[in-house]
Amino acid sequence: MIALKEEKEMAMIEFKNVQKYYDKFHALNNINLKVDKGEVVVVVGPSGSGKSTLIRTINGLEDFTEGQLLVNGYDLADKKTDLNQIRKDVGMVFQHFNLYDNKTVLENIMLAPKLVLKRDPKENEEMAMRLLKTVGVADKAGSYPRQLSGGQKQRVAIARSLAMKPKALLFDEPTSALDPEMIDDVLNVMKKIAKEGMTMVVVTHEMGFAREVADRVIFIDNGQILEDEKADIFFKAPKEKRAQQFLSKIIKH
Amino acid sequence: MKKLKALLVLTGMLLLTLTLSACSAESTQQNALKRSQANNTLTWGVKADTRLFGLMDIKSGTIKGFDIDMGKEITKRVLGKKGHAKFVQVTSKTRIPLLKNGNIDAIIATMTITPDRAKVVDFSKVYFAAGQSLLVKKGSPIKDVRDLNKDGMTVLAVKGSTSAVNIQKYAPKAKVLELEDYAQAFTALKSGQGDAMTTDNGILFGIASENPSYHVVGGAFTNEPYGIAVDKQQTQLKNKIDQAIAEMRKDGTYEHLLQKWFGGIAGFDLKEASQQ
Amino acid sequence: MINVFTQHWQELLVGFGNTLLCSVIALFFSLIIGSTFAIFEVLPYKLLHIIGRIYIEVFRNIPLLVIGMFFYIVVPQFIVTLDGFTAGTIGLTLYTSSFIAETVRAGIQAVDDGQMEGARANGLTFMQAMWHIILPQAFRYVIPPLGNQFINLVKNSSVLAFVAGFDLMYQGDTIASTTFDTFNTYIVVGILYLIITLPLSYYMRYLEKKLA
Repeated sequence: MIALKEEKEMAMIEFKNVQKYYDKFHALNNINLKVDKGEVVVVVGPSGSGKSTLIRTINGLEDFTEGQLLVNGYDLADKKTDLNQIRKDVGMVFQHFNLYDNKTVLENIMLAPKLVLKRDPKENEEMAMRLLKTVGVADKAGSYPRQLSGGQKQRVAIARSLAMKPKALLFDEPTSALDPEMIDDVLNVMKKIAKEGMTMVVVTHEMGFAREVADRVIFIDNGQILEDEKADIFFKAPKEKRAQQFLSKIIKH
Repeated sequence: MKKLKALLVLTGMLLLTLTLSACSAESTQQNALKRSQANNTLTWGVKADTRLFGLMDIKSGTIKGFDIDMGKEITKRVLGKKGHAKFVQVTSKTRIPLLKNGNIDAIIATMTITPDRAKVVDFSKVYFAAGQSLLVKKGSPIKDVRDLNKDGMTVLAVKGSTSAVNIQKYAPKAKVLELEDYAQAFTALKSGQGDAMTTDNGILFGIASENPSYHVVGGAFTNEPYGIAVDKQQTQLKNKIDQAIAEMRKDGTYEHLLQKWFGGIAGFDLKEASQQ
Repeated sequence: MINVFTQHWQELLVGFGNTLLCSVIALFFSLIIGSTFAIFEVLPYKLLHIIGRIYIEVFRNIPLLVIGMFFYIVVPQFIVTLDGFTAGTIGLTLYTSSFIAETVRAGIQAVDDGQMEGARANGLTFMQAMWHIILPQAFRYVIPPLGNQFINLVKNSSVLAFVAGFDLMYQGDTIASTTFDTFNTYIVVGILYLIITLPLSYYMRYLEKKLA
């Protein structure tokens, strides 16, 4: 475990020449990427381009073959690094929510703070209820995930991540599994969080969201970062041909 | 309530089976002698785990021992020279039920004549006078049955045998463990599961003859007259068997068989065993 | 049949008590041991995986009677003397745990991978995720086969009869061979087993309904 001291000057997330192979398949090709504190970075790219793999390496759900990855001061290439330390500080929201099916909404939110942070039960519950209000599903506190709509599930999942008081949040296609009419509810919650200064890495196809919230947009294809631009520049005039094609397709839809 | 109801239904079903099988048990009560004469076969229940009396010979796949030889000889005398003796393996636990349901015609399986048993089966005259004794490891402080009458003593016996009941009379303080057969009881003794093994001396001598680090101690403390058992009401068969035993004693066949199996066993008293 | 019960109720009660005690002990430990080996099987460590596999294949594929005898006869010659009850209960526990391990492993594998992923990303350790999220869901899937294992366990406790464990079957054997009333004795013994297994199977069905 290497916790570097000068946290403030450091980037929240930093990839240095990261390579990942699945056998022969080159899943991540020489990734260099820096995400500063408070920055919102949107990752776009065609399916199978490696964007999910990229975001999942940040909290150690995927490992990598070569290079260095620093997250909140911890070195993920170091085998001794305790991934749980990173996951405590870096939350993740999944495409398929991954709520605990055997727990109520409230329990879903309270479980990790209770087990990992040993938060006082009363404080834990108060905070969980507050978060549920923030994401607008307080009335479902006692329900089980199977009783919720997709949009509600995803908002609960976001609340669950926030309950850990994370320093950064990762979103892996958070709206891709939702019915269209529910997408906005989730995006609005994400916008709210972004405005409060959360460091966020978001894999999404929601270009409206990217345009409004993102500081930078990363375009990735074949495991390679092809563009890393300020959001307004990216949308106005992407340099890469593949990014242009991708954008025109996405916007048509 | 539901559970109770289900239980009652099941109990009822079991009772029904009981009644039905009791009826079918009646029908086996035919004349065993006539039946065996018709088949020219007498079916004997014998032990297959008891050295010297009835032990399965693994090589030949047949059971050998004093009881077997007696059974063959008696069969010849009951059914005639060409009479066929069939041997069915039994244990102390299964022999009476098998006799009762007609699977076997007679039991010759180290079976002691007791008043309790005489209520359910008929016994022939004594064909072997055994006595219960003890088998211990050489060097054991146990010299006779009185040494066992202490708390913490454990005696190994075989299920369904008289020896388990007897030892509780002679050594009421000892704990008795009943095992499936003699082999298991002896293995348990070797494993230290008990301080002594008890059963009839003839059987214990048989075990000791194969396992020189064990010996029989204390002499016989009970009389265990072995008899041949037939089902109640099979008086004709019983009389024929008695007659055969008497003939064998007279013409020397009996003594010859006794000599054959027990002649070479150290410490064994042939005269005592042949008492009538 | 009533006679068997009125005359021998003390022995039968001892046997019933021992069968119940053996079943409860074996059920408790085989559930723990079985779940542990089930977890071994889903862990990414090859060594634990192999150990789990060996354990399960050995105890699942040897007759219970042999395992019981091993602890009654062989272990005392080399390690420590175990009485029949202990030897039989240990044998029954190990035997049943191998079946439970297979059942629980299937249950764990039936739980959606996203559950583990969500829990790990949420900061839970592997064991915390197992204990709070995966196992509760896995058990819900496997309650019906687990119920069968439990009922088999109670019936299999009759292995104690062969190692002088003073269980229901042993007492039944003894009563049958002293009274010669084999048929009625075993009917009474059968009913006493039902008194344990029927409520158990009803309870498992109730659990299944409640958790479904």
